[in-house]
Amino acid sequence: MPGRQLRIDEYRIEQEPYYLPTGEEVAIAEAAYREGVPLLLKGPTGCGKTRFIQYLAWRLQRPLITVSCHDDLSTSDLVGRYLIRSGEAVWTDGPLTMAVRSGAICYLDEIVEARKDTTVVIHPLADDRRQLPIEKRGELLTAPSEFMLAVSYNPGYQSVLKDLKASTRQRFIALSFDYPIPEKETEIVCKEGGLGVEVARPLVKLAAMTRTLKDSGLAEGASTRLLIQAGKLITRGIPVPTACRAAISEALTDDQELLAALDEMVSSLF
Amino acid sequence: MDLEALKTRFYELVAPSLPNEWDVEEALAALATENTDQLDNILSQVPAIWPVSHSLCFAYLAAAGPALHCLAPEELSLWVHTLLDRYETTGLHGAQVFMNEGQQHFVRHLRGQGGLRLIEVRSRLQPYVNGLAGTELPLIASDRAYTDTECIFLPHEIGLFAGNEENFLLYKLMVSFQWATIRRGTFTVPRFFSPSESAIHPLEQLFADFAVPANARCLYHFFETGRVLSFLKDELPGLMRQSLALLPRLPISADTAAAPNLLDRLQQGLLRGILSAADHSETENRAWALLQRCQGRGADNQVSLDAVRELTLLLSGDEDFLTTKPLVFQGPLRLQEVWSAQLKRRQERELRFIKALTIHVQQAALRKTADKTDDQDGPKIAASQQGADLALVVETEHQPQAKSQPQPLTSLRIDNQEVALSEELTELAEQIRQDLGVLPEDYISSAAGKAGQGFSAIHPASPADGLGVSAPVVYDEWDYRRKGFRKNWCVVTEREMPTVQTAFIEQTLQQYKGQIRRLRHQFELLQTNEHFVRRQRDGNDIDLDALVESLADIHAGRPPSDRLFIRLAREQRDIAVYFLVDMSNSTAGWVGQSIKEALVLICEAMEVLNDRYGIYGFSGMRRLRCELFPVKRLDERYSTVVRQRIAAIGPKEYTRMAPAIRHMTSLFAEVEAKVRLLIILSDGKPEDYDDYKGEYAIEDTRHALLEAKAKGIHPFCITIDRQAHEYMAHMYGEVNSIFIDEVGRLPARMPEIYRTLTT
Repeated sequence: MPGRQLRIDEYRIEQEPYYLPTGEEVAIAEAAYREGVPLLLKGPTGCGKTRFIQYLAWRLQRPLITVSCHDDLSTSDLVGRYLIRSGEAVWTDGPLTMAVRSGAICYLDEIVEARKDTTVVIHPLADDRRQLPIEKRGELLTAPSEFMLAVSYNPGYQSVLKDLKASTRQRFIALSFDYPIPEKETEIVCKEGGLGVEVARPLVKLAAMTRTLKDSGLAEGASTRLLIQAGKLITRGIPVPTACRAAISEALTDDQELLAALDEMVSSLF
Repeated sequence: MDLEALKTRFYELVAPSLPNEWDVEEALAALATENTDQLDNILSQVPAIWPVSHSLCFAYLAAAGPALHCLAPEELSLWVHTLLDRYETTGLHGAQVFMNEGQQHFVRHLRGQGGLRLIEVRSRLQPYVNGLAGTELPLIASDRAYTDTECIFLPHEIGLFAGNEENFLLYKLMVSFQWATIRRGTFTVPRFFSPSESAIHPLEQLFADFAVPANARCLYHFFETGRVLSFLKDELPGLMRQSLALLPRLPISADTAAAPNLLDRLQQGLLRGILSAADHSETENRAWALLQRCQGRGADNQVSLDAVRELTLLLSGDEDFLTTKPLVFQGPLRLQEVWSAQLKRRQERELRFIKALTIHVQQAALRKTADKTDDQDGPKIAASQQGADLALVVETEHQPQAKSQPQPLTSLRIDNQEVALSEELTELAEQIRQDLGVLPEDYISSAAGKAGQGFSAIHPASPADGLGVSAPVVYDEWDYRRKGFRKNWCVVTEREMPTVQTAFIEQTLQQYKGQIRRLRHQFELLQTNEHFVRRQRDGNDIDLDALVESLADIHAGRPPSDRLFIRLAREQRDIAVYFLVDMSNSTAGWVGQSIKEALVLICEAMEVLNDRYGIYGFSGMRRLRCELFPVKRLDERYSTVVRQRIAAIGPKEYTRMAPAIRHMTSLFAEVEAKVRLLIILSDGKPEDYDDYKGEYAIEDTRHALLEAKAKGIHPFCITIDRQAHEYMAHMYGEVNSIFIDEVGRLPARMPEIYRTLTT
C-alpha cells in the first residue's frame, strides 16, 4: 500500500548498540523508566546522547521513535493530522501519538530547536497524568506504562531565544553527558572506528586540544563522533593527516588560520 | 632648496602648530642636500607623522634621507607606515631602532628575501599552543626563545634555513618545546623545599650551593632538555619525526669552539647522535648514562638535579660551560622571570581571594541582618565589629586532616562563625593550597578585617556624576592620511548614568498622549506576524473551501486540486537595536530636549514590540576619555530607573563618534539577532578637543561605520541640523541617514523611521 506508515515493529532495535557507560546513567534511566518519569539528556554534540537512548531502548526492548526537532515543527507534525485520500479525510497518527499508542520510547532530539508552542503539547504527557490530548479527534490518550518520553538538547550553543521554559524543564529527570575521559574515549574510538590504540590515543589527544580552543574562536571542540568518523576513514586506508583534515578540522571550522593551527596539531601528534 | 624655503614649507605642512625654530632647523639641515624629488617625497609624509608625534617627525626627517638611499621612492610610504606602527607598539625608542638599522632589514622583507617572521606565523601558532596547553599561552616576540611560564617568548624572525618551511618547523619546535618545559615541570620547585616567600627561585638557591653555580645551571638545563625532548617524542611523535632532519642542522657552539668542552660535546651528542669518537672519557660516558636516566619514563626534574650533582663531582675545576650557548629552541633558562611570574600569580590569587572573601562575608552578614527581625540582641555579626579583633580565624576542615588527604575547603571559621564558601572561593582556596601548602591565616583575617570596616568598600556612595566606571576598553582609530589604524588609540569607558527625578517624563507623556496611543497601535500591527496561508499542499488543518471546491470539481469531471490545507505561517521578528545618542555640548537646549522626548516616545512604542533595544549616550574629551552612558542596556526592562536616566540625559562634552560606534559594534558581537540595527542620533559633525575634527574625524567615523557594516550591523544616522551638509552622505552613506531640520518634528519622526527600517 503506497504511503503506508512504518509499522511499530520496524522501530525495534534488534542488535545491541555499542555503548560504554561512563557513570550511573543506565541505572538512573532504567529507574526513571520504571517510574514513568521522562528523561532530559543534555550535553555537547556527538558525545553519545542518541547512542545512549538507542542502547536504552534495546535494553528495555521497546521500539524507539526519534523526532529531530526544527523551528518549523508544528503540533500536528508530532500528534498527527487528517490527510485526504481518495476523497476521504483520513486521520494519520504523528510519531508522538504512535509512540504513546504502542508503548514505545519517543525521543525528541534537540528539543530547543522546536517552537515553544509546540513543546507545550508534551506537558500533560510529561507529568503524572501521562496523557496526550488529540484535539482534532476529540480523543484523550493515556500512555501505557511502557511508554517513555526522552528529550535532548545541547546547552553549549544555546542563545537567549533558545532556552527551555522552566515549566518544561521541571518535568524531567536530567542526565548530563560530556565527552568521556580519555581512556574511555580511546576505547570507544578503537571499537567504533576499528582502530588500534596507537592511532586512537593521539586522536583523542587531538580532540582534547580542540576542546580548549574556545577562546581562540572554536565554538565547540571535536566530538567523539568526529573521532569515530576519522577513525573509519583511516581504517579504509586514507592517510591519517588527510582523514583528520576531512573528518575533523574541516568539520569544525572554516577559518583558514584555525585550520592551519589544527593541521599543525595533527602533524605534531602523528 | 635652501634652508629658509624648506622651513617655510615645513611650517605650512604642520600649520597651525608652531614648533620651535631651532628644532625645525636642526631637523631640516640634514635634508638640505637632497634633490627636489626626494624632498617632495620626504615632506609628503610629514602630515601623517606630525600629528602622531612631533619628536618622531623630527627623527624621521633626520633618518628619511639615508633611508631613501636603500629604498625605492615609492617604498617610502610603506616604510613610514611600518614606522608608525612600530612607534605605536614600541614607542619612540622602538621607532628609532627601526629607523637606525631597519632599512636593510625592511628592504629585504619587502623584496621577499628575509626569513620567516613571527607576526606571519603567530595566527597559526597561537591557537596551536593554546590547544597544547589548554589555556591561553601568549606568544611574544623577543630576542630569543624562552618562557616565564606565563608566556612563550620567540625570536622576531627565523632565517636560519633557506626555506621558510623549515624555518616554520623550527618555530613550531620552539613553541612545542617551551610548552613542554612548562608541562614537564622544569621550573618546579623540588619537593624537599618548603614553600617560601624568598625573592629568588629555589632552584637558583640550589645552584648557588655548587662550586660553580653557572655550570650547575647549564648542566641542569641540558639534562632537562634531554628529558623534555624524550617527552615530546612520546607526546608529539609527528613533530619529532619531522624535526629529525632539522635537529642535526641546528647551529651549536661546538661548531665554532676551538676546544669543545663537555657540554658542547653533549649537545652534539644530543642533536646529532654522535659522540666525538676520539675520547670517550670516563666523565662523558657517565654524563651520557645520566642523560639516559633523565630520559627514562616518569623521570621528573629531581632526576636531572641528581644527575647534575653526580656529574659535578667528576668535573675538573676549570670547565666553563657559559661559553656554550643554549640550543636555539632551548633558549636561556630565565629562572628569575619564572619566579616573578609565579609570585605575581600568587599575589593576584591572594588579592582575588581576599576580595572575594570580603564580599562573601559581607553578604553573609547582610543576609543575617535581614533574617533577624527586630533587634533581639543587636546585629552581632562579624561585619559589624571592628576588623582587628575578629581576626581570630581557624581553618576548620584543613587542620585536623593534615596534608595526607586534602579535602576541598568548603567552609571557614571566622569569628567563631561558620561561613560556607562559594564554589569560586573553594576553587581559589584549593589553588592557593596547592601553591603554598596551606591557606595562610592572614589572607582570611585581612578579608575579615576588610569586611568589618563596613560596607562602603563594595557599595561606594555614588555622587552625582558618573561613578561606577566599567573596565575601560581600547579601540583603534582610523587615520586617513596614512590609510592605516592608530593602534589602541581611544579609551572607552562605560559610566553609570545618574538618575534624576523631574517632571519631564510626566510632561512628555501628557503632551504626546494621543500620539503615543496611535504609535502603540501601529507598533502592535508590526508585531502580528502570524497569518494563515490557504490552499497549501500540506498544513495544520484542512481548508474546507478548497475541499468543497475540489469535490465539486471531481463531480464535474475536472481534475481536483491537491492544495487542500491551511498552514499557519509565522515570521520571527528577531531584531536587536541600539540607539546611540549624542550627548555633546552642542545638544544643549531644544535639540537635547527633542532627543529626550523622541526617546521617551520610541520607548513607549517599543514596549508593545518584542524587539530588544538598548540606549546609550556618548560624549567625552580627548582620545583617552571617550565615555558611554548606558541609559538602557539591551536586556534591561524599561523601568522607572530607565525613564529617570532618560530624563538625566544632558549636554556634556565633545562628539568623538567613532569610538562610541566601535564600542557598540563590539557590544553587538554578543547579541544574536537576525537584524542588528544601530541608530545614531546626532546634531552634527564629529569633533573633539584635540585635533579630532574636519576630514580626519569624518573619515574616522565613516570607517567605524564601515567596520560595523562588515560585522553585519545596519547603522542608521538621524542628524538634526539647520541644513543638510555634503559630508553627511559621504560619512553615513547615501541611504543610511536622514536629516531633520526642524527639531520639533523629531519625536514624531523617530518611531516612524524605526517602523520603516524594520518592516
